[in-house]
Amino acid sequence: MIQVKNVTKKYGKFTAIDNISFEVKDGEVVGLLGPNGAGKSTTMNMITGYIDSTAGQILVNGVNVEKRPRKAKKQIGYMPESVPLYTELTVKEFIKYMAQLKLVKRKELKSEVNKVIEEVGLKDVENKLIRNLSRGYKQRVGIAGALVGNPKVIILDEPTVGLDPKQITEIRELIKKLGKSHTVILSSHILSEISQICENVIIINKGKIVAIDTPSNLEKKTSNKNIISLTVEDKKGNMDKIKDKINDAKEVKLIKDNEDGTKQYQIISEENIDLRKKLFEILPKEEIVIFELKKEESTLEDAFMSLISDEKNTDKKEEKR
Amino acid sequence: MWPVFKKELKTYFLSPIGYICIGIFLLVFSTFFYMTTIQSISIDLGYLYFYTAQYGLLIITPILTMRLFAEERKNGTEQLLLTSPRSITGIVLGKFLAAVIVILIILIISFMYYVILTFFGEPNLVPTLIMMLGFLLLAMAAISAGMFASSITENQIISAIITIAFLIVPWFLLSISDGFSLINLMSSYSKFPAGILSTTEVVSLVSFTIMFLLFTIIVMRRRKTVK
Repeated sequence: MIQVKNVTKKYGKFTAIDNISFEVKDGEVVGLLGPNGAGKSTTMNMITGYIDSTAGQILVNGVNVEKRPRKAKKQIGYMPESVPLYTELTVKEFIKYMAQLKLVKRKELKSEVNKVIEEVGLKDVENKLIRNLSRGYKQRVGIAGALVGNPKVIILDEPTVGLDPKQITEIRELIKKLGKSHTVILSSHILSEISQICENVIIINKGKIVAIDTPSNLEKKTSNKNIISLTVEDKKGNMDKIKDKINDAKEVKLIKDNEDGTKQYQIISEENIDLRKKLFEILPKEEIVIFELKKEESTLEDAFMSLISDEKNTDKKEEKR
Repeated sequence: MWPVFKKELKTYFLSPIGYICIGIFLLVFSTFFYMTTIQSISIDLGYLYFYTAQYGLLIITPILTMRLFAEERKNGTEQLLLTSPRSITGIVLGKFLAAVIVILIILIISFMYYVILTFFGEPNLVPTLIMMLGFLLLAMAAISAGMFASSITENQIISAIITIAFLIVPWFLLSISDGFSLINLMSSYSKFPAGILSTTEVVSLVSFTIMFLLFTIIVMRRRKTVK
């Protein structure tokens, strides 16, 4: 559906996007993830034909965006990061204008506009001036503008920025709904959002692709250790000897002395070894009372941080040279 | 082109801009009407159209054109336009025509001065229509220049100043050398007020218009690679 092939974007000497390639399949919901300034918006602007790439090519359904912009743009609905809207128009007028810009036929115009208003949940405010709407509604109008004309691909740049928690969940639900019938690319720097909505994640840092995978795979990949966090009451101080009793434990770390006399530990072992069963067997024998025992789940956040910091470390090394 | 045209025209009259423009123009027209016909006991509308063109357009053109592209660039709505399947040429022409229509409305209203004169004498209809045609061509050239100024900046004030400078600076340059009449729009509007349809002036004004329309299209196209 969307193929990005060896695309580079340079501003003068600064390279914003450095030779990236990826592919988005039909009906997929893909998240572009990266810290601020990583090149997410630039990538989206190039896919939507707002700016030209310096090198490489982008195909939407096999159509080159730069060579045949009209045909390619017809298939894309885009909501830019700043959610630009014509605030002097009413919601309905705006959506109608966007539909006309997107070559919706005159006969279908009215029904298409009403359908989108219904779909995005703007019925209550359809005759209000956009200028008077709250942030959450404006965001919906922006999404409606991207949606109208039924494009195959919907590209949303940071669709939930600046919303309150209730609005965020509403917009997420909306995006999930859209994902069933469209190909969706969205960008975000909120990780939980991506892991909830997206089937695939593309992590970008400093204009380069760091990883492309499903959220769960990314989580697995980056965790090469098994960490168990443990809260115990250990009156006789036997915890110090535990490491000798369990051979597979690589490290036993005291994390915190709690006020109620319990202690919190972290036990680290190799990836493929699960120590939980053993701990439950051995600790009572040593007269250690277990208050809590939990296997730490590695999150997308960990994956992201480790991928990004890997990059930083290599950068530093390069600088030292 | 048509959706952009319709939306822009609507915007002129959703905001006070359209009404302000028509109001200012009628004020200027009426003042000069009084001075050039009633006060000097004449039924020649030539001076009316000449002076209104010279001073009225100076005020109106920047008001009409300054927001056309600068506002879109500043608000980011430019992104909506440029990522839509519409061509840049269509967008530029749509905006241009919307501004021209406002001038056309003013011109149609200005026909009332001709009607008023018919009560006092027998003014010639054909020369008056030629004057109006000349006025329209002149306004189109000024608007295309103003639109070009709007496309190169995101600041409406700067755009307005560039437009005014473009219209006014040639007047002073003329006192240095007649050669500057080439860039002076008013130099191509000397025979129209006499009711004479001059091919030279029509071609000159139309070329001015096309040239600045092309400049605007080029600027908008280039933004894709520069931005």
